[in-house]
Amino acid sequence: MVTREDVINIARLSKLYIAEEDLDEMTKAMADIVKFADTINNASEDGVEFDNINNLSNAFREDEVVPSYDRDEILSNANDTDEGHFLVRKRV
Amino acid sequence: MQYEMVAGFETHVELATNTKIFCSCTTQFGADSNTHCCPICIGLPGVLPKLNRQAVRYAIMAGLATNCHIANISKMDRKNYCYPDLPKAYQISQYDKPLCENGYIQLSNGRKIRLNRIHIEEDAGKLIHKRGDTYVDYNRGGVPLIEIVSEPDIRSVEEAKEYVEKLQQIMRYIGVSDCRMQEGSMRCDVNVSVRPVGSTELGTRTEIKNMNSITFIGRAMEYEFARQVDLIESGGEVEQQTLRYNDAENTTSPMRGKEDANDYRYFRDPDLVTISVTDEEIEELKAKIPELPFEKVERYVNELGLSEKDAANIAKYRNIAEFFEAASEGVKNPKSVSNFIIGQIFRRLETEEDKENFDIKTTPEQLCELVKLIEAGKIKNNLAKSTLEKMLDTGKPVTEFVSESDMAGLDENALAELCKKAVESNPKAVEDFKKGKQKAVKSLVGFVMKESRGKADAAAAEKIIIEIIGG
Repeated sequence: MVTREDVINIARLSKLYIAEEDLDEMTKAMADIVKFADTINNASEDGVEFDNINNLSNAFREDEVVPSYDRDEILSNANDTDEGHFLVRKRV
Repeated sequence: MQYEMVAGFETHVELATNTKIFCSCTTQFGADSNTHCCPICIGLPGVLPKLNRQAVRYAIMAGLATNCHIANISKMDRKNYCYPDLPKAYQISQYDKPLCENGYIQLSNGRKIRLNRIHIEEDAGKLIHKRGDTYVDYNRGGVPLIEIVSEPDIRSVEEAKEYVEKLQQIMRYIGVSDCRMQEGSMRCDVNVSVRPVGSTELGTRTEIKNMNSITFIGRAMEYEFARQVDLIESGGEVEQQTLRYNDAENTTSPMRGKEDANDYRYFRDPDLVTISVTDEEIEELKAKIPELPFEKVERYVNELGLSEKDAANIAKYRNIAEFFEAASEGVKNPKSVSNFIIGQIFRRLETEEDKENFDIKTTPEQLCELVKLIEAGKIKNNLAKSTLEKMLDTGKPVTEFVSESDMAGLDENALAELCKKAVESNPKAVEDFKKGKQKAVKSLVGFVMKESRGKADAAAAEKIIIEIIGG
């Protein structure tokens, strides 16, 4: 069961604003999504190694340094920067 | 009513890898902001994180050194929360399949502090709040961490301090982290609750976040214990919350409402495949773990005859322990080696970091040579002490400062002659001694030592001087 309160809470955690009048529709949509995802519970678990469905393991990287990106490039997508930092407006 | 403290620790330790956990940017500390970054560690969409093999190895070693069970199968999960220090809005961590589980750290009072788990995760970026804005530096973002989670088994501030120190020592010994608390490479969250003595139930806990000094941990826990006891005694209730410790005022204050595990909406990170560790690999890593500090203390006390205190002082730092062991090679009484280290060499190492680095000019072989000369009766203790100072200043061996003739020592006649001279040249000291001032004899002995350039046997000289004055 997905309640209106669940939707409000999830929106809060994701810093999303949902208008009061959209809440009922959102709750119903969310319930449908969860119901769809629940289908997976019908699958047989026999012989399946917990959730490793693709049977891949250990794609490791060796611990060798590769030069990082230029700072200007790193900051180039930011809305705002100052003194070599990403700038975020103070959160209320 | 009497209350007891119940505390548990979540300790974050930065691993000493060269590169970050999911990308090849360097983990070096102290660079200009955002210069150790790439699309992976600033969380751009469409990138593929790839796990650093060394981070996994270090984490397993940390687990082995703390008596954990190592999981053969483990995985990475996403922990979702929105905060600017986390550019992806999730942290890659481990939820229900951590790498290490069920370990413990044994304290000197014999109590075992159980470890629930050790898992690997990525560090967050650094936020600087100024001028009403937040400045974000992602150099630290993606640095590999282990989080060591203890059970609430700690019962006092003393136990807490020892627990943190032990963890720090072990992690340094096995080389997985430098554990510099002031640089943030080791940070503790402390859960504190109180309960009436004798009760077995757990009280409501508060969590003090991000402590980076053992002294502050102690103070914060004391403050929080007293605050909770006062609250309960005055009929109130402890509220579960996350606190910040304010070291200037020595108080704690609430930070934010603690999110439940549910709120983090953990799920498996689909970009990262299963971590599978074979028993052979675990054995291989086990072989890399050196003798640990508490094991060394035991051996130093039982086999080398050191006191518990001296043994602990030496074993605390791996470099010093190794120096001590090398310098004790073939020595009859290793205690004299430890006396030189603790008495004279430590005086030159002011900070913990100095001791950690143990950067001295004298080699263990040189100290060993000096101690062997004492044991062979060729150098008296006083001469050895002043010689060691010169050796430490220059890095030169004992033979540079003490000649063959010095080593031969003074014959009895020469010593008696010098003692006589001491008495004749220092009438004031002699008089003082006669008046009952025992200490005055020391200045006479000092005279003999000086005249003989340290060759004389101080104890023998004292005996002769007293005989002369008395006679």
